[in-house]
Amino acid sequence: MRKSYVNNNIKVNEFDALIKITVEMSKYLYPYIREILKSKEDIKENSIIWDDFNKRFIELINERFNVDSMRVKKLLNQAENGEIIIKSLLILSFCISNQGYQKLKNFLYDF
Amino acid sequence: MQNKLLFHQSSVSLEIIGLPDYSNNENKDQISIISQWKLTIVDKPLIEGKIEHLRPIMDAFYIYSNLLIKNEIPIYESKLIDIKADNLQIHNIVLKSSKANVKPLVLKIGNSLLSDTLNCFDQLNESPKVRIKKTDKLNKIPKKLKFGLNKKVKFFNFFIPPFFAILSLILFSYSFIYFYSPFENIEKKELPNPE
Repeated sequence: MRKSYVNNNIKVNEFDALIKITVEMSKYLYPYIREILKSKEDIKENSIIWDDFNKRFIELINERFNVDSMRVKKLLNQAENGEIIIKSLLILSFCISNQGYQKLKNFLYDF
Repeated sequence: MQNKLLFHQSSVSLEIIGLPDYSNNENKDQISIISQWKLTIVDKPLIEGKIEHLRPIMDAFYIYSNLLIKNEIPIYESKLIDIKADNLQIHNIVLKSSKANVKPLVLKIGNSLLSDTLNCFDQLNESPKVRIKKTDKLNKIPKKLKFGLNKKVKFFNFFIPPFFAILSLILFSYSFIYFYSPFENIEKKELPNPE
């Protein structure tokens, strides 16, 4: 999915390290994640945060992902990407505890 | 004198009140015998109950959050609590009282409050100062879901072995089509001179 010309498979320890970094980042970013989720809940009154996040999300996807892929096209479609973004943010917000590493790993294996 | 512990996450706080189990030589600030718990969600009615209600409610939230991520329409139903999703943003919680003639408490919470609540429960689970008896989580999975899981497993167990057997039989017999058959050739040679 990424715009990369090197097809290296990720190693187990690299995968674990990425999960640890993600969990630590979500602990730090929890207030922001929460506000984005809240903004989506009452989209009529408070849509600015959600719209800004979605706009930046699409910008980053365009910049770093292979836009010709059908899966990436789904992420870019604003009508379809809401569910994927909400579920991803929810997973991150559920994994901010000390057991977050194990939780995120389980979520990723089941996703 | 009872001990009080407060777990707080953004708009949700969970208060645990109880005593240490002195028979196990526990510290004064430990809570092993929980007498009361209170879950406070901003702008929502206070939720409180008996100790035997705390673990089922926590399990309900954990199972529901798992279903929410995996399924499109997550539903959790039990004698004590029902959680259903209106959509991906709003969740309906129905808390049923064990007392007769008491109407169930209905709450609507969003994803932000759901994750706050779960994080409070996580803090409680990870706290070394509180001990709660753990229940077997699989028993708390609603019957519908349990049936679904068993059904899936049984379906595969039932169909996969005969499927592979028939497939291997077809492949094995298909290979014989291309083998040389000497009897056919002898018959063919004999046909031009019947007399």
